[in-house]
Amino acid sequence: MSMRTTGLGLVAAASVLLSGCVQTRQYADVQFSPPSGNYKLLVLRPDVTVSSLSTGGMAEPRADWTEQARSAIIAALRSQQASRGGQVQIVERRNSLAGIGDQELAEMERLSAVVSQSIVLHKYLGEYLPTKQGKGLDWTVGQAAINVGQKTGYDYALFLHAEDQVASGGRIALGVLGVAGCFVGFCAPNIGGATQLDYASLVDLKTGEVVWFNVVKASSQVPGIKFGDLRTPQGATQMVDRLLNRMQPGAAIRREQQVKR
Amino acid sequence: MCWRCNQISRRGLLAGGGIAAASLATGAAQARIRPADMQPLIGPGYRPTEKDEQGLWQLMERAEEEIAGSNLLITDPVLTGYLRDIIGSVGGPAAKDFRIYLAHVPEFNAMMFPTGFAVIFSGLLLRMRNEAQLAGVIAHEAGHFLRRHMIRSWRDQRRKTDLFAIGSMLAGIGGAAGGVYVGDYMRLAQLGTILSLFHYSREIEAEADAIGATLMEQAGYPPVEMANIWQQLIGEQEASARYRRKHRDRGYDLFATHPAPESRMADLRADALEVTKPGKAYDDRRARYLDKIGSIRPMMLDDQVKLNDPGASQYLVETLAKDGWNGLLRFYEGEVWRLRNRKDDDVRAAQSYAAAVVYPDAPADAWRWHGISLMKAGRKGEANIAFARYLAMKPEAPDAAWVRQMMS
Repeated sequence: MSMRTTGLGLVAAASVLLSGCVQTRQYADVQFSPPSGNYKLLVLRPDVTVSSLSTGGMAEPRADWTEQARSAIIAALRSQQASRGGQVQIVERRNSLAGIGDQELAEMERLSAVVSQSIVLHKYLGEYLPTKQGKGLDWTVGQAAINVGQKTGYDYALFLHAEDQVASGGRIALGVLGVAGCFVGFCAPNIGGATQLDYASLVDLKTGEVVWFNVVKASSQVPGIKFGDLRTPQGATQMVDRLLNRMQPGAAIRREQQVKR
Repeated sequence: MCWRCNQISRRGLLAGGGIAAASLATGAAQARIRPADMQPLIGPGYRPTEKDEQGLWQLMERAEEEIAGSNLLITDPVLTGYLRDIIGSVGGPAAKDFRIYLAHVPEFNAMMFPTGFAVIFSGLLLRMRNEAQLAGVIAHEAGHFLRRHMIRSWRDQRRKTDLFAIGSMLAGIGGAAGGVYVGDYMRLAQLGTILSLFHYSREIEAEADAIGATLMEQAGYPPVEMANIWQQLIGEQEASARYRRKHRDRGYDLFATHPAPESRMADLRADALEVTKPGKAYDDRRARYLDKIGSIRPMMLDDQVKLNDPGASQYLVETLAKDGWNGLLRFYEGEVWRLRNRKDDDVRAAQSYAAAVVYPDAPADAWRWHGISLMKAGRKGEANIAFARYLAMKPEAPDAAWVRQMMS
């Protein structure tokens, strides 16, 4: 084995350690200030999927892991909100909310889900829209959300989406093989490991507008490297913390605050 | 698992595969799957026990929750009850476990989801000439569930992509150690993987057709009606293409997920012959079918003529009329001409409207357009009679004031 391939192998092995990566990005309506005081917050049923990543790279949904993660996330949400002073209800079933029918709530949920997907696509994943530039967060769920607000008396609704993958044994082995290959000159150290994508959107139920939005994306190039497993209380708490704990006011409000200082 | 789906981008797959290599992997003609060999793989009340299938079910239960609440659904209890009865008679051992939803989508399709719920598009109900044809489609979809196709194809796909990933990694490492570049072979292997995925998909469609034929026969429907559906589909596609001066997509290539319509029709005819019992009386239950869908047939015809596909619409109206013309079909024949609006189409449309109003079931709008056609021809007296009839049938018509003004 030549010096050169050995060197290449070592570089690849080193890059393994650096290849886990977590990104967060937050967007807010220009006039947004984080809810404080005696606000009433409705947390919609968290949309959670945990899959197993097969050797060939297919994401296979797992029912038991998804349930574990959903319970862990709900528990983490409860303790995160307990320290904030607002009145919070987490809707685990659509028919559990007084004052509104399950289909009406479902309609808002579906609409929020689609609006959130557009925000991720057009604000975060690079399909930027020229008409939305420099406008902060310019999206609305509209009348469906206002209806829910009027019928239930809540001020805000929070929509939460989390998808996570856990690399299977085969995928990890394949990654190890890819790194090992560097020593003979066939280098495939980054076949791609798990990807976690979480986002949250806060809807003002008086205006129907999405006032705040946050995305967390965590991914590793190498299978087997994890960054907070949503199935565990620690992982779920870390995710909820990354997603919700550093809510920033909108641009106009921040400017005002600076002027006052 | 849908009746006829082609949403997979063949071009995208080809780009990855290398077209030249395709010729190496072709030529394996597929033997017909015999109905007698297709036994249901599950009994009543089936629940998944393995992790991968449980995950799939959980995802699909969420999907069903959303579909069940969709405002695209037609929820008329007569129709939904009717569909439930049919799947109850052709659903084999799982008959009681199925759920079936009717969606207002003017396209010819139906699909079965892994957890045993099916979605039927209204465009399919428009095209079926009798209950036997509808039961045939439902039996085919039930066949997917009874043969556990979704989890089997998922596992097949997972196994093949796993093998390909391991194979290319080992080939790369082996090749590099031996000083050979194996990129081209790997691309070929990848194409082989993709081709066999599609083959599997065609095979399960053929399986569902075969088991569907048996289920139809057992429920007393003439099994040959399933083949007739394909004959109608081929005819419709040809008529649509001819009008647009294009060739029909023959549906035959390496990457097709479903068997080509022609070979599928031939296989279905053979299936039907095999399962039909000589001397047994079969009934296509056409009268009951027309009675049940009667309430939405005008809406479905209306959707169809507005698709701006006059070739297909004309073919459809004429196919349905093989069982007898009536006022509704004559009216929509006129609508196809009127909306097509080529030279002399107004004359053709006027003839259709005039023919429509002869039948007792002519819709109010047939009288309206008959009146307008007569007015254009300068026959005001007759036009007024037609308009009066229109207003009598539809006193609350949004254009009543305008029609009255035309009459004065």
